Amino acid sequence: MASDLKRKREDQLPDDDEVELDAETAKKHKLPTGEELRTLKDAAGLYQSSSFKLQIDALLPNVRPKESRKAPLDQFLFILRSHLLSLPPIKPQHPLVAARTLSESGVAVPFALPHPAQETKWTVAFEPPSNMHVVGSWANKISVKKKDGKYFGLDLSIEMPAVLSVPRERLLDARYFHKRSYYLAVVAQSISTSFEVDVFYGAALNDPRQTFIVLRPRKGASHDFSKTHAEIHIIPALSSSHPIPLHRLSPCHSNVRVQPPTDALLSITNSSTPIYNTAILISTFPKISLLSTNTLIQSSPTFRDGHTLLRVWANQRGYGEGALCIHGFEGKGLWWASVLGLLLDGEEPVSAVGKGNASKKRSVGKGLSSYQLFRASLDFLAKQDFENAPAFVKSANGHRYSPEEYPSNHSAVFVDATSTINHLVDVPFTSLDMLRYDAQKTLEQLNDSTGTDDVFADIFLRDQTHLSKRCDAVIRVDLSRASKYRSTFEFVEHGTSDNALLAAISRILRRGLGDRVRALAIFHPSSNVRSISEMSRPPRMSVIHIGLIYSPEDAFRLVDHGPAAGEQDTEVAKEFRQLWGPKSELRRFKDGRITESVVWEVKTSDERAHIPAFIVRHLLHLHFGVPIADIKTIATPFDVKLRLPDHLASLLQHVGATGGFKAALTAFDGLVKNLKALDEKLPLALLNVSPVAEYLRYTSTFTPVPISLSSSLALPTPLRYLPQIPIILEFEKSSKWPDDLRAIQKIKLAFFETIASTLMTASPGLRAAVHIVHSCDSDIQDHASLEILTPEGWAFSARIWHDREAVLLERLASPAQTPVTPSPQPSKDQRMARRALDVYTRRFIHAPRHHRAIATLVHRYIAYPGTVRLVKRWLASHWLLGVHVSEEVVEIICARPFVGNGVALPDTAANAPRSKERGFALVIEFLKEWKPENPLFVPLYEDNGPSIEPSVVLQENDVDPLSVKVRVAIQWFGLVLIIVTCSDFSLMRIDDYDIVIDLDPTVLPRYHQNIDADELVWSKSGVGRPTDGDAVSRPGFDPARILLDDLQSTYSDTLKFFFDIYGGHRIGAIWLLNVSRTRPFRALGGFSSIPATEGGKSNEKDKETPFCSIDSPYWTRLNDT
Amino acid sequence: MSTLPKLISGFTVIPVAYSYARSTHILYARAHLSKSQDVVYPEKRTLFLVNIPVDATDREISLFFKSSGTVERVVYNRDSRDEAEAEAEEEEEEAEADIETSPPLSPSPSSQDLQPRSKRKQRPTESASPSVVPLPPISLRTLRNTGSIAHVIFLDTSSLEKALVPPTKPRPWPSSSEEPQGLAHYAALYDAQRPPLDVVKAHADTWMERFEFDLAKTKQKLAYRKGEAIVDDDGFTLVTRGGAYGQTLGGGVGVASKAFEKTSRTGSKKKKEPKEKETFYAFQKAEKQRKALLDLKKNFEADKARIDKMKESRRFKPY
Repeated sequence: MASDLKRKREDQLPDDDEVELDAETAKKHKLPTGEELRTLKDAAGLYQSSSFKLQIDALLPNVRPKESRKAPLDQFLFILRSHLLSLPPIKPQHPLVAARTLSESGVAVPFALPHPAQETKWTVAFEPPSNMHVVGSWANKISVKKKDGKYFGLDLSIEMPAVLSVPRERLLDARYFHKRSYYLAVVAQSISTSFEVDVFYGAALNDPRQTFIVLRPRKGASHDFSKTHAEIHIIPALSSSHPIPLHRLSPCHSNVRVQPPTDALLSITNSSTPIYNTAILISTFPKISLLSTNTLIQSSPTFRDGHTLLRVWANQRGYGEGALCIHGFEGKGLWWASVLGLLLDGEEPVSAVGKGNASKKRSVGKGLSSYQLFRASLDFLAKQDFENAPAFVKSANGHRYSPEEYPSNHSAVFVDATSTINHLVDVPFTSLDMLRYDAQKTLEQLNDSTGTDDVFADIFLRDQTHLSKRCDAVIRVDLSRASKYRSTFEFVEHGTSDNALLAAISRILRRGLGDRVRALAIFHPSSNVRSISEMSRPPRMSVIHIGLIYSPEDAFRLVDHGPAAGEQDTEVAKEFRQLWGPKSELRRFKDGRITESVVWEVKTSDERAHIPAFIVRHLLHLHFGVPIADIKTIATPFDVKLRLPDHLASLLQHVGATGGFKAALTAFDGLVKNLKALDEKLPLALLNVSPVAEYLRYTSTFTPVPISLSSSLALPTPLRYLPQIPIILEFEKSSKWPDDLRAIQKIKLAFFETIASTLMTASPGLRAAVHIVHSCDSDIQDHASLEILTPEGWAFSARIWHDREAVLLERLASPAQTPVTPSPQPSKDQRMARRALDVYTRRFIHAPRHHRAIATLVHRYIAYPGTVRLVKRWLASHWLLGVHVSEEVVEIICARPFVGNGVALPDTAANAPRSKERGFALVIEFLKEWKPENPLFVPLYEDNGPSIEPSVVLQENDVDPLSVKVRVAIQWFGLVLIIVTCSDFSLMRIDDYDIVIDLDPTVLPRYHQNIDADELVWSKSGVGRPTDGDAVSRPGFDPARILLDDLQSTYSDTLKFFFDIYGGHRIGAIWLLNVSRTRPFRALGGFSSIPATEGGKSNEKDKETPFCSIDSPYWTRLNDT
Repeated sequence: MSTLPKLISGFTVIPVAYSYARSTHILYARAHLSKSQDVVYPEKRTLFLVNIPVDATDREISLFFKSSGTVERVVYNRDSRDEAEAEAEEEEEEAEADIETSPPLSPSPSSQDLQPRSKRKQRPTESASPSVVPLPPISLRTLRNTGSIAHVIFLDTSSLEKALVPPTKPRPWPSSSEEPQGLAHYAALYDAQRPPLDVVKAHADTWMERFEFDLAKTKQKLAYRKGEAIVDDDGFTLVTRGGAYGQTLGGGVGVASKAFEKTSRTGSKKKKEPKEKETFYAFQKAEKQRKALLDLKKNFEADKARIDKMKESRRFKPY
C-alpha cells in the first residue's frame, strides 16, 4: 500500500512542476484567495445563486442616476437657492385679489377644495423661505429610475416662514392649503420669469393640496442640467418652529366643516378626516424623514441596494408612476424606504396591554445582503394583513398619537419611524391586496426556480403591467358619465372628485366581491405635470381598468348569502340591501334557511365564468350610475369564438340533441356499459375501455354535439360534421392470439365484426361499421377500427390494443441478430415495422397516458380547458393546428403556465391563471418569447415530485413553422397590451401564401365551425338543393382534411400546406425554398414543371421553373361542384 | 403557350389543357431506351413519359394517346428504386414457394399497380389450401407523387413516332372516366373503407383458416418437435433467442433475449467496490477540498462570462 502511495506522489510531482512553469495555467489553477473566496461563497449563500448576484450587480447601475453627471444640477441648485432666499415679500391681501394679480402674469394659484370665497376674511402673503433643503431619495442617494424614461425627481423643500402660519383656524376649511398654494404660485411666478427652465405644477394623484413645482431643464439654456436626467420638485414645507397645533391633527380629529349641513348622514357622525390631516402633516415631514432614512442607510450597508431592488420590482408592477399604475401608490416613494426600515428596526409595540404584542415582528438584522433584504420585504408584503394589523415602525420617541386611534379612523395603517404620518392613509385596501398577491407570486417564483435567468428577468426586467396577463378578468370602465354625486365632505377629505370616486368604487367593489377574488385593483394612468397657468387638472379621469384575480373556489358562486331573515332590521341587513339594491331578495333555501341573498342567474357555463364581472357591472351601475354600455369586459368575444353558430345550436336543440362535454362523457359511459354487457358473446373478456379523445377531456375547441342519423339528413351539408370520438378497447390477455402480426390484424377484424353485429342486435338504432384503411401500405400496422353511431347521435371509433404487437414489432424492427455485418440500410421490412411500431406507441401507449395526464389537469385547474380551447382555436385560425402543430402539443404547451417550470404548482398557487383569457394571454406571451431551439420541458406525466428526465421535449423540427407564425402573431399581441381583443383571430392574410386553393363551402361538412362562417352558405344550400342526392350520413367525414392530407403526401417535397382544420374553406401553400428557382431539366425531378423561356437567348439551356400544379382536375372538382 | 420550346434535352414537350382550369400541364415524352436489365419494355413501341398528372389513370392516358395509336398497357414507375427491387424479389420467392399455382381468385380490373394491397390477398394459393375471401377492391384513382414517370407501351411501333410529334397547341386531357373525381371520390372512398360486415367476417374467417393451414403445414415440414433441442449432424446443438412467452418456436435451446441482456441485469449482482478509499489520506482530503474550491471558482467565472454576454445584448435595462 505504501509503495502504491509513493508512486502516486511521484506521479503528481511532475504535474506540479509544470504548473509552476506555465504562468497562465498557474493562474487558472491557483486557489482563490480568502477575499475572493468570501465573495464566491457569499454569492452562492447570501443570494439566490452566483448568477443571480451577478445579474443584480449588472442591474443596479442602470437604474441609478450617474454620479458623474450631477455637476450641472448642483450648480443650478446654488443659484436657485440664492434667488429664492432673496425674493421680495408680498403684503397680506385677500386671496382672490392676490390670485388675480398673479394670473395677470400667467400664473394660476392651485387652490384646493373648498375654494376661497369673496367673503373670506383671512389673507394670503409671501415672505422669502426661511430655509431650503434637498430632501428625499436624491439627498439620500437612493433614487431609482422611473418607468417610461421619466426624470429622476430631486425634492427641494422650501420652508415657509413661521410668520405666515397662524394657529388654529388655519386647519379648517383647507385654509392652510390656500396659503401654501399662494406661496407656491409666487415662487413659480418668480422662477419662470428669472430662469431658463420649464416650470410646471405637479401633484400626486392630482391632489391640489399636494401641489409642487416641477422644474425641467431646457435644452441649450444657460442652466441646462438635462444630462443629469432629473427634474426639481419644489415642495413647500413647514419650518420646525411652525405654530400649528399638532395634536389637532391626530387620526381621530375632524378638521373639515361641511358647509351644507343638510347632508345628514355624513355630517352627523363626527367623521374624522385622516387624509386631510395627513396632507398637513406631510408638510412637516420632509426634513425629519430625510434624517430617519439617513440613519437607516448608515446602519445597514445594503439598504441602498435592497431598496433599489424593491423599487424596481414595484415599478415593474405598476406600483408607482406609469401609463397603467395601481391606484394609490403615486408619490409614495418614502413608504418603500419605510418598509425596509420596519424590517431593519422592527416594530414599535402598540401598547403595554396590546393584544398582539407577542406576534410583533422582530427586526431581521442589519447584516443581510441586498437580495435577502429584498426577499424579506416581499415576505412582509405578502404576509402583512393591513386590514387588521396596523404596522408601526420602531420609533425613537414612542408613539406620537395613540396607536388605538389609527385602526378605527384610517383604512390601512403603516406609521413611519418618526411616528408622524400614516403612509397608507389614502391607499385603498384593494391596491394593498394586489400588492400582497404580487409579492406572493414573486416569492413563489423565487422558491421554485430552476432556471434562474428566467426568474430574474421575470422579477426585475420584464414589464409586468400587461393587464391581460396579470388579471383573470379585466373590466374597462368609462367614468365620464358616472354620476358626480358624492358628498362634499368626501371631496374635501380626498382632495379631488376623482380620488373620492375611486376610493368609493374600490370600497364597494371590495365588499361586493368579497372572497370571490384574491385581489382586485384599479388601474389608471398616473398624474402628469401641468402648466402653471392651469389651476387644476381637468377634473375627470375618463377611463379606468379594473383587474380581478379570482380565488379558485369561490369566484363562480351563484349565490351571495346575507343576514338571516330574523335580523331584518339590523344594521347589517340594511347595509346588505343598500349594497345590492333591488338584486337583494329574501329567499328560502333547501336547508331551511331563510336569508337575504343575491342570486346570479346563468344559462351556460360560459356565463358562469363571468359572474364576478357581472357583479362589478351591477355595483358600478347601481352605486355610481355608470351606464352599462360604458363597462366592457374582454371575455365575451372570446366565448363567441368557441361556440357554434346560434343558428345551428337552435337547429340542434330543435331536434332534441343535448351537447356538451358532460353529455359526451355520459354517452361514453353508456357505451362502455353496453360493451361490457356483451361479455358472454365475445371470446375474450373486455378489460378496459380507455378514452383518448379531446372531447372526453374538455379540451376540444367546440363542445361536442350529437347528431342522430335522422337529424343528420335534415341538416344542410355545411352543418353536418359529426366528430368521431376515439376510444381504445383492451381485452384480457390470452395465449390464443396468433404470434403473427398480420394474423393479429385479422383477428382484430373478427373481433370488430362480432362486436358490431352483437351491439346492433342488442341496442336497436345503433349503427356500427368496420373501418379499414386501405391506403396504408403495410398490413402489419394497426389499420382497422370499429365505428359506432349511437342512437342519440354520438360517433365513436374504437380500436383494439394488443400488447403482444409491440414485442413482435420491436423484434422485427431491431437489426438482424448476427452482429457480424451490421447492415447500414434498414431493409424494407424493418422500415415498415418501425413505422408500425411508431403508430402503435403513439396510439396505444402515449395517447391514453396523455389523456389521463390532461384529464387530471382539467380537474385541477378550472381555467386550463378554456385556455387550451382558445389556443387551439387561435392556432387553427392561423392555419397551423393539426397541420403543423398537433392538438396534443397544444395541450402540453398550455399546461406550462399552470404547472410551472419544475414542480406542479399547488392548487392555491398565486401564479396559476384562473380564467381562460389570462391563460391564453400567458401562452401567447410564452410562445412569443420562446425560441424553438430551446427544448421545452413540461412536467406533465410525473405525479411525484420533480423529475430528472423531462416528460415532454419539443424539438425544433416540431414547431418550425410555428415559430415563424408566432412572430407574425406577436405584432398582433403588441397591439393589445392593455386589453386582448378578439378581432385578431382572423388576422390571417391570404396574400402571405404563394398558392391559395378555394374550396366550395357548401359541400364542406365542417364549414359551420369556420371562424367567420357565413350563415348564408348553409341557408342557401339548404334551400337550393334538396338533400344533395346522396342521403347517407357519414360521421367524421371531412373531405377538406383528406384532400389536405393527399396534397401533403403528393407534394411533400415541393410545397408546405396550411389550413384551418376548423371548417376552413381555403388551403394555403408556400413553395419550399429549394424549388422556387429555375434549374436544368431532370427526368426524375420529383415536381411538376414547365419549360422556362429565356427571352432572346437560345433555349438550349433546358431550364425549367417549377410550376404551380394547380391544374390537376383532382381538387378543382371540389370547387366545381 | 406558343413560346414553349418543342424539345427539351431530347424530350418532346406536350402541353395538356384542362377543360375547367386555365392552367396548362406539361408532359415530357421520349422513346424508351432500355438500359437496365431488370425491367424489360419492348423497344420501339414504348413511350417514356415524365411528369404525368398526379391522378392520371390508365384509361385517361390511353384516351390521351388515342390519336397516335392503341395503348397496350401503362406501367408506372415507383420512384424509389429498392422498393421496385423488393417487389421483384417477392415475386420470385412466391414463384418458388408455390409451384403449383392456381389462378387468382378475382382478376384485378386494370392494372396491378393500382392496388398494391390487393395483390397479397390474391396470392396464388395451393390447391388444397382454403381460399381467402378478399375484401372488396377499391376501384378509385391512386395518387402518385408529383412529377412521376410512366412507360406507355403501344401496340405497334408507328404509334410511338406519332406520339412523339410535338403538338401545335395544348391538347385537352380526357376527362370522361369511370373513376369519380373530387368530392365524389372522397365520398366513394369513405364508403369503400367501410365494407359490409358479412364480407369482413368472411374475410377474417377464411384468412385465419388459411393462416392456420399454412402454419400447420410449415410445422409438418419441419423435422423438429416442440421442446426438443435441434442437434445437427456434427453434434452441435442449435441455440436461439427465446420466442413468445419463453418458448422457442424455431426449435433449439433458448437463451435470454438481446434486449434483456442490454439491461445488464444479467451477471453477478455485486457491485465492484472501489479499489481505494477516497478520503483516507490527508492529502486526498486536501486534494478534494482544493478541487471543490477550484470548481466553485470555475463555476463563478462561467456565470460571470455568461452575464457579461447578456450585458452586451443590453438585457439589464429594465425599462
